[in-house]
Amino acid sequence: MAQIPLGVKTHAQKVCSLYKRALRNLEAYYDRRHVYRYQAVLLRERFDKHAKETNMIKANEFLKEGEEELFLKQHPIPKYFATSPGGVAHERVVTPPDWVLDYWHPLEKAQYPEYFKKREQRKKEFVAMWEKEYGKPDEKDKHH
Amino acid sequence: MCFNSFFFLFFFMLINFFFFVYFIMNGLSVFFEWEIISFNSMNIVMSILLDWMSLLFMMFVSLISSVVIFYSKSYMNSELNLNRFIILVLMFVFSMVLLIISPNLISILLGWDGLGLISYCLVIYYQNLKSYNAGMLTALSNRIGDVMILMVICWVMNYGSWNYIFYFDFMKNDYVMFIISFMIIIAAMTKSAQIPFSSWLPAAMAAPTPVSALVHSSTLVTAGVYLLIRFNYLLIDMFFFKVLLFLSILTMFMSGISANYEFDLKKIIALSTLSQLGLMMSILSLGFPDIAFFHLLTHAMFKALLFMCAGVIIHMMNDIQDIRYMGGLSLYIPLTSLCLNISNLSLCGIPFLSGFCSKDLILEMVSFNSFNLMVFILFYLSTGLTVFYTFRLIMYVMINDFNLMMIYNLYDEDYIMLNSMFVLLFMSLLSGSFLSWFIFSYPYMIYLPFNLKLMVIYVSILGSILGFMVSNMGIYSLNKLLLSYNLSSFLCLMWFMPNLSTYGLSYIYLNFSQILFKNIDMGWSEIYSGKGIFNILKNYSVFYNIYQMNNFKIYLFSFILWFMILFIFFFI
Repeated sequence: MAQIPLGVKTHAQKVCSLYKRALRNLEAYYDRRHVYRYQAVLLRERFDKHAKETNMIKANEFLKEGEEELFLKQHPIPKYFATSPGGVAHERVVTPPDWVLDYWHPLEKAQYPEYFKKREQRKKEFVAMWEKEYGKPDEKDKHH
Repeated sequence: MCFNSFFFLFFFMLINFFFFVYFIMNGLSVFFEWEIISFNSMNIVMSILLDWMSLLFMMFVSLISSVVIFYSKSYMNSELNLNRFIILVLMFVFSMVLLIISPNLISILLGWDGLGLISYCLVIYYQNLKSYNAGMLTALSNRIGDVMILMVICWVMNYGSWNYIFYFDFMKNDYVMFIISFMIIIAAMTKSAQIPFSSWLPAAMAAPTPVSALVHSSTLVTAGVYLLIRFNYLLIDMFFFKVLLFLSILTMFMSGISANYEFDLKKIIALSTLSQLGLMMSILSLGFPDIAFFHLLTHAMFKALLFMCAGVIIHMMNDIQDIRYMGGLSLYIPLTSLCLNISNLSLCGIPFLSGFCSKDLILEMVSFNSFNLMVFILFYLSTGLTVFYTFRLIMYVMINDFNLMMIYNLYDEDYIMLNSMFVLLFMSLLSGSFLSWFIFSYPYMIYLPFNLKLMVIYVSILGSILGFMVSNMGIYSLNKLLLSYNLSSFLCLMWFMPNLSTYGLSYIYLNFSQILFKNIDMGWSEIYSGKGIFNILKNYSVFYNIYQMNNFKIYLFSFILWFMILFIFFFI
């Protein structure tokens, strides 16, 4: 299937994303916090210089140059958090989703009688709470 | 389960120790042979060789594995599948013991293959994407070595049996031995991660830390060195040993440089293991198998200890392995930092620790026997690099400013983990002298000029000064200049060899197979078999359906047709 865009990003979102990635890149290079803070302030100043640009063509060009510069200067071993995507411990411990409990054998369910007694009631209460906050779902959304 | 296996392996270690002392003092060597089948002229025998080398290695393997299992009782506490883990580790130890005691190639193959497959199961123990990729890399790299051993088995059949130890002194100039030696060296290189096959060792750090301590520091990766030590009499004058020297020195140098740029704690230790493996292989290829064995054993001790300390640090930091998050930990885990420091200093070859006995001996033998200038330079440079990254690691982790959140204050040093580390600490302090008294019945006669003798100390001091400087200054800011950015990327990513040997080798084939799959499997073969025949049959049946629709025109037409046929047949 041809590439259907999943959403349209505004210019402000793109700039903020570039800024955050650039800060993470700086964090990978400078690990002592005070050194990093100094470099982050310098980076912020570079971004602030062109922040009030009203000409969109120039603004897009700055954004493109910024992306290019980030790509050329990205750290070969970026600093990730361990449980985030890209980190070492990502998805080590996987929690099964809640609907798996509905597929348990009755003998297994009998090992936890108190919980399963109230489970149906809790499901109804959950649905009621959801609909109170977000409203009823559209009929067209219930079937592919 | 943990305590039972710990006690069993510990007593096994004690038994091996007593037999080792008895055997080496009396110069004994025992060879058991069981005949399984004897049929016409064919014999299948199972043999076991127990000499001092195998008993000593078994003692060290069982000591490290017992301590690691005890350690993993506390480290893997939150694992639901701890029994599976312990059983895998026990199977690993069993394969290793089978490899150590076997004088014939078939049981070596059983042990060798077992090591490779079980290390795959252990690397993919945490089932996330990184572990799967790392496991694939480990298993496939080791598989190349397995194939080489299989081919050696075929070639050795020329001589009538698989007991290789009987053929060394008699068959040196044979062409078959030439081929066998080539394949054995390639097999050892895959297992011990020398240069073309070195990408799996840093990647295998996706395994749990007890696995790294046992498998990737002392047992699996030394199996290749052990195989070459056993085959040493065959290989000693062959050309391939020079190739092995070249490749192992490059491995030593490359991993020393990469460890300086690396920021993942376990990967730094993995690269230091790789560097020491290169050292072992190179001294073996220079013709000193007993020194290589000595370094193998001392290295096993302090490297396992180092991995266990790294495990404590990782536990403390909530699974973070990046050293950029760490700093000033020595105040919070004093006993663990004691073990870390001693094993690091032993790795550097600081005088009178165990690493010093083996490493210094190796470097003095290299200086004493006159070899190539490049060999000399790279040996000493790699030693300096070892000290460099060691001190960098100590600075980042232990000494530098306190870096991370209040998370450190929540940790108590676990007595189970500490007890297991103290056993290895004791051994890592004393095993150097203890082994040198046993293995070398007379010391090597080394006669060096004064400055050459002290060259190790000079290089170590230089390395330590550089290590302190690099961690203190913001020298990494220079990497932002594009001129040195490319160089530092090249050096930190292990000279791009992992990328070349994984993505580089498989990209063309995967691309081609995608083309084949889309065009043939999902394209033309669907038209000519699956969907196509279905469509043809469907269209034919739609067509023939017309004749079953009780169409009057068809009946009239068939009546006229039949009439014409009869007319032609009877009147012409």
